[in-house]
Amino acid sequence: MTRDLIVIGGGVNGLVTAAYLAKAGIQVLVLEARSTPGGLAGTEEVMPGFRSDVAGLDAGWLLPDIADHLKLGAAGLELVVPEASVFSPLPDGRSLTLWTDPTRTAEEIARFSAEDASRWPAFTAQLARFARVLEAVYAVTPPRIPDARGRDFATLLGLGRRLRGLGKREMVEFLRVAPMSVAEWLDDWFDTDALKGAVGAGGVTRILQGPRSAGTAFVLLHHHVGRPAGAVRSAQLVKGGLGSLARVLADVAKGFGAEIRTAAPVREIVVRDGRAIGVALETGEHIAARRVVSSADPRRTMCGLVPAAHLDPEFVRAVNNIRFRGAVATVHLALAELPQFTSRPAEGALRGAITVAPSLDYLERAYDDAKYGGVSRQPFLEARIPTLLDPSLAPPRQHLMTVQVQYAPYHLRAGVWDAAARERIADSVVASLGNYAPNLRASVLARHVVIPKDLEERFGLTEGHPYHGEMTLDQIVFMRPVAGWARYRTPVKGLFLCGAGTHPGGGLAGAPGRNAARELLLKEGRR
Amino acid sequence: MAPTWDAIIIGGGHNGLVTAAYLARAGRKVLVLERRYRVGGAAVSEEIYPGFKFSVFSYVVSLLRPEIIRDLDLPRHGLEILPLESTVTPMDNGDYLAAWGDPDKTRREIYRHSPRDAEAMVEFGRLMHHMAQAVKPILGMIPPDPTSLSPRDLLGLLKLGRHFRSLGPEHVHALYKLMTMSSADYLDEWYETDVLKATKSASGIIGTFLGPRSPGTAYVLLHHYMGEIDGSFRAWGFAKGGTGAISESIAGAARRFGVEIRTDAPVTRVLLKRGRATGVVLENGEELRARTVVSSLDPHRTFLQLVGESELPDDFVSDIRRYKFRGSSGKVNLALDELPNFTCMPGVGPHLRGAISVSPSVDYLERAYDDAKYGEFSRQPYMDVIIPSMIDPHMAPPGKHVMSIFVQYAPYNVTGGWTDAKREAFGDTVVDTLARYAPNLKQAILHRQVITPADIERITGLTEGNIFQGELALHQLFFLRPAPGWAKYRTPIRRLYQCGSGTHPGGGIMGASGRLAALRILGDGR
Repeated sequence: MTRDLIVIGGGVNGLVTAAYLAKAGIQVLVLEARSTPGGLAGTEEVMPGFRSDVAGLDAGWLLPDIADHLKLGAAGLELVVPEASVFSPLPDGRSLTLWTDPTRTAEEIARFSAEDASRWPAFTAQLARFARVLEAVYAVTPPRIPDARGRDFATLLGLGRRLRGLGKREMVEFLRVAPMSVAEWLDDWFDTDALKGAVGAGGVTRILQGPRSAGTAFVLLHHHVGRPAGAVRSAQLVKGGLGSLARVLADVAKGFGAEIRTAAPVREIVVRDGRAIGVALETGEHIAARRVVSSADPRRTMCGLVPAAHLDPEFVRAVNNIRFRGAVATVHLALAELPQFTSRPAEGALRGAITVAPSLDYLERAYDDAKYGGVSRQPFLEARIPTLLDPSLAPPRQHLMTVQVQYAPYHLRAGVWDAAARERIADSVVASLGNYAPNLRASVLARHVVIPKDLEERFGLTEGHPYHGEMTLDQIVFMRPVAGWARYRTPVKGLFLCGAGTHPGGGLAGAPGRNAARELLLKEGRR
Repeated sequence: MAPTWDAIIIGGGHNGLVTAAYLARAGRKVLVLERRYRVGGAAVSEEIYPGFKFSVFSYVVSLLRPEIIRDLDLPRHGLEILPLESTVTPMDNGDYLAAWGDPDKTRREIYRHSPRDAEAMVEFGRLMHHMAQAVKPILGMIPPDPTSLSPRDLLGLLKLGRHFRSLGPEHVHALYKLMTMSSADYLDEWYETDVLKATKSASGIIGTFLGPRSPGTAYVLLHHYMGEIDGSFRAWGFAKGGTGAISESIAGAARRFGVEIRTDAPVTRVLLKRGRATGVVLENGEELRARTVVSSLDPHRTFLQLVGESELPDDFVSDIRRYKFRGSSGKVNLALDELPNFTCMPGVGPHLRGAISVSPSVDYLERAYDDAKYGEFSRQPYMDVIIPSMIDPHMAPPGKHVMSIFVQYAPYNVTGGWTDAKREAFGDTVVDTLARYAPNLKQAILHRQVITPADIERITGLTEGNIFQGELALHQLFFLRPAPGWAKYRTPIRRLYQCGSGTHPGGGIMGASGRLAALRILGDGR
């Protein structure tokens, strides 16, 4: 029997694609290598009695229209945006909290600088305006540039209008800011180091660059897409952990008639006469399909699953040149009690991210170590305490803290990722946070370290990058995953991509999957 | 009072002179006002020590537009460019990497380091050649304003779009990558030899405050392939008599077209009447009237000092204020008793007629940048060294030599400021670092001139000592240079124009800004 369509990988994007297609009446089979769907969006028992999202990610922002189309709310999805976005403890004993409420944030900033506080509303308004432009770009299939044809003209015209809609001055400002460094951009606006550190940290999220590297202003913009206007660096959390998002998506896809097979790792995409005709599983089983969609990253798909003989060497070279460079480790800490920060955070401040990024220089120095292939001696940390939202993730009265540690590069040039290196990373996290919350050290019951290599081995993420490739200017829109192949198609007929390695990339749950589904539906002649 | 001149050009650097020459060639009556005792700006040759001539600031030429050489007939006015054919990079293990004028010889040399890289070099060179061809028309065009709906701008945008379409997707994508990537990452896609990547990426950091791993440094790689001496791509050259000879030849051409040049004539203010430039005031109080005033100074000097903020729209002032200079380079000029003897290539050889690049590894350059990032000059700086007297013996007394060392990074805003002591310490660092590769250097030094960004600013007037009149960063190029909406050589003041490197395409001894400004002025009529 030949199926309509196989989706390789049951992560968020794979499930979104499957759900959209199944909804349109196409017969879909999802093949997931692991025992539960979800990919990185999986909540597991990382330490006895403590459950956590393994990579400690928020899924990134789930765009509301995806939730609407797929009626995820009705299926039980509960999204929470904590009122605190970032709590940043500082070496001088103070702290700075960014709230989703810009007025409250401005009051907070005023404790540091009245002038910076007065600029905050204008800055957040500009950030939001620019993010709205990106939202428009992210909602479309990238037009072919420069060889635009057919639909591309309408798309380009629409985006051009959107950009012009900013008004003359802001339009130029958008073009000026995007390629800048986040440090220069923030220097244009603010004086307070603490503020620039807390905001600038969003400009280096999951890239192997520091805040003074050009193009990092774009990264900050990218991570503001979908967010409410004033809520700089806010996050959207899923009640019950990311695993719940995967569960809901799987239920919805199944409800539309998709079939999901777990523990079914794909070994090869079967290609005949330049056309994908199905897949072969590790077990040797062959499943035939008219079309195959891979949510695995582009290198894994094109260089791992498609036999090399079917591809042009130039294309393979381009895929091999995609920069992944996983740069973040996750440290899970089982805690006997909540950390008590000496700076006395306001009620609710710890429900957002607890960020150690007291200044742009601090971030830059953390990057300096990574630049030469080492782990940051004083890393940029972003910690969350999911048990504040959902106490059931830990035994009664105990807590779980999940800490993103940047930079912990996949490729070490100084040393190797051995057990000692893992311990050192956990030590540096406890020591760093312990400076601000002295009770932390004694309250650690257990710790669990996940390095980029682990993500690669357990989830098949090349170089352990959850975004399937860095979000840098040269790897976005019409260049993602590689130039000339940004429209979810591949040089193999009948084979498509739908993962975070495609436009609009990582940090936006399901957005690539939705865009890919739209292209596939056009191919299927259903709209 | 009737204006005496059709145009007054403020500043007698190469761009100011080019504008002057083009205007006079079209029959305009032009006066050039230069603050110093001689023309040239940052392109001057000076005999700082008797018998030794230094190209004090800029030292090589590759980008001088061929149409300017032709239009102004510069060879007739003494311009002679001698090829600078080789680049040798001494390595820390005593070996070297060399690139020679003969591509086959270079390929053999690279093969010695990596057969794979020798192969990649051919394809890389071909692509860069195409890219340089693709960029050339953009350098020669007045940037259209993408926010404007005027027919002229729309036409310009259309032309630009057609140009890109005609290049084809492959080349446009490659160009986009060059514009957005770091030179280290870009070269990683092609090469494996570290010293080769370091030497190539060094050209990407010149005049910027960025390290080779920072995005935005890759496209400057192209500059190496854009040099067009006598129409042949990729050649770097040295002007006979030093870079000052370039300025002198343009000045000569300008005079022949009837331009009057006054030196020792510092301008303190642009005269305005009802939002319109009517002339200038000199430091001695003298007022000179002209129908058009053109400033070749950088945007800060022109607008914040000579015009004044109160005369300009607020938005424009804030744009000019945040335009970034961040001077990051210095210069050390040496008078030598004997030639340096490089350990990696002992004795006198053709390598001494080319450039010596101190760029042993990408990490080396990156560490040099790290120092500057935190406010210090590099403890081990990147250096581009040439020995002009080997190419043009008239630069030094018989048997003696001059050496020009371009040094990066030397941040303008060095912690504690540039004191005399710091300048000397900087000079020592440079000499010590170079002496590691040529041990006889120290004893051969007869005189030493150390130039910090603060000195560049003081002597030439370039704000923060930035040699390009503002960083060549993506957000300061094309229609954004120097400010959005004012990238077409006009200014918010009627009849006041700008023609320096602070306008598109900026940077290097190119003259393109000066020429395009002249074309714009002539197009606007009297």
